[in-house]
Amino acid sequence: MSRGRTDAEDPPPHLWTRVPASIAPDAQGLRDGEAHDGPRARSTRKEVRPAAGMSIATSSDRDRGSENALTHLGSPRIRAAAGRTPRLLQPWDVTLRRARSYVRVRRAVLAGSVLTVVGLPFLAARFVDRSWPSGVFVGATGAARALGVELLDPLMSAGVALARGARPGLLAAALPVLLLVVVLGRFFCGWLCPYLPLLAVSNAVRWALARLGIPTLDLRLPGWIRFAVLGTVLGGTAALGVQLAPLVYPPALLARSAYRLAFGLGLGGGAAVVAVVWLFDTTVSRAGFCRSLCPGGALFSLLGARSPVRVQRTASRCTDCTVCDVVCNLGQAPMTDRLDAGCERCGRCVAACPTGALSLSLQGRRP
Amino acid sequence: MNRRGLLALAGGALSGLLVRRSPASGAELRPPGALPPGAFERACIGCVRCAEVCPTRAIRFPAGAGLGAGQPFLALRESACVLCMACTEACPTGALARIPPVPERIAAEVRIGVPVLERKACLPWNGQGVCRLCAYVCPIGPAAVELVGPQQAPLFHPEGCVGCGLCEEACPEEARAVRIELRPGGRA
Repeated sequence: MSRGRTDAEDPPPHLWTRVPASIAPDAQGLRDGEAHDGPRARSTRKEVRPAAGMSIATSSDRDRGSENALTHLGSPRIRAAAGRTPRLLQPWDVTLRRARSYVRVRRAVLAGSVLTVVGLPFLAARFVDRSWPSGVFVGATGAARALGVELLDPLMSAGVALARGARPGLLAAALPVLLLVVVLGRFFCGWLCPYLPLLAVSNAVRWALARLGIPTLDLRLPGWIRFAVLGTVLGGTAALGVQLAPLVYPPALLARSAYRLAFGLGLGGGAAVVAVVWLFDTTVSRAGFCRSLCPGGALFSLLGARSPVRVQRTASRCTDCTVCDVVCNLGQAPMTDRLDAGCERCGRCVAACPTGALSLSLQGRRP
Repeated sequence: MNRRGLLALAGGALSGLLVRRSPASGAELRPPGALPPGAFERACIGCVRCAEVCPTRAIRFPAGAGLGAGQPFLALRESACVLCMACTEACPTGALARIPPVPERIAAEVRIGVPVLERKACLPWNGQGVCRLCAYVCPIGPAAVELVGPQQAPLFHPEGCVGCGLCEEACPEEARAVRIELRPGGRA
């Protein structure tokens, strides 16, 4: 079975999920004829995660002898993976069988957002020779107005403020979403972005390619690149006197493509840009655009850097199974508490955690 | 954000600022209430709200992916503006200045473009018929288009015209004598 990840670099120590060898008791490791691999993996783990990190659940599994730490994971696919030849845990090994309530809420919110972006233009197109009731709702995710309240994407507000100077009206339109981002961080990316369904398809294609034995690259671009992109977009907007964000920002591109489609004007160039982004995510880097190139994501992680809502881990419940690290689209590592402002608060890791060790809660407060 | 991120942001901003482009040409007719060329491109975020609320679908967005792809234009030949001012009300950034749908305010403030008449093609002017369609549909009246002479031929007054394009839409297919064009020297 081929891997999604490139084999060139050694995976970080916490990803040594050589499943049976690393966690199963020594005797079994020897019996499997993997004595050369088992101790090495174990010693690496010990260096990184000393006694404190070794959780109770893991040691009890150890005592039982014939089971390993992945036996109690919900998904049969994980159990099957654990029985096969040792390999790194892959995203497709994890199914969100026990989705927590807020994952359902997230899906509902996302469906609403996508319907707004894609569905409303089609509805508006039916209002021939009549005006759309814009007092109730107008626009799409990114620049909407519901019952008189403007919801303007901070990236757009920043662009207009840079190109034209801040004005009171603009500030009033930008403020509601700005407050949300400061409190909730990069939540837009995980909850509302209309590109998310396309990203899900991209990940599914990555899975299919891997099953077919076709290698897909998972390039990790350095973290500063997204800030360079954000700087270029905003600086270019100020210099050129044309708003650049609407030309490269997928939510804006998708909204415009949906409008064109609904009004019978064809898809247009915006859809081509989205297609390039999608191909990049599918073949070069998993969610690579969202992670490293999206100017909106970069701005949200800047504004939401101090957000008090965070994924938190109860160490005593954690079995170091790496499921959370593996399901994350954006390369966060909840298992080792290494989350930065790039976390989109989607809660996928929380829902995937087999022992309920993770929670999405206010900082300093643990359930 | 760490120091490297800050440097990247600054570097990106600098490289963005270094880009130069010829000043905005403003080669398109913009929806009513649009800021002058240059200022409009700075303010418009391409959210398509104006196009969504337009009852006549006169507001369109370009097909390409270039610098102008995010800005609306008016396709007056296919569909005229009925001066409902819904687009100015929908605009979130003030790229279209808000104008209340009051006849006096519209006549005074909306300046989409200027009418250009090709007299050789115009039926009353070339003596092929009695038409007057442009004068009948004009929402402004004699201040924008007057009927003159024994043929009752139209005489357009660019300074009074709002540029809604109803005359262009109404002009007979075989004549197509009047066209709304960009106001020379930018919008008022």
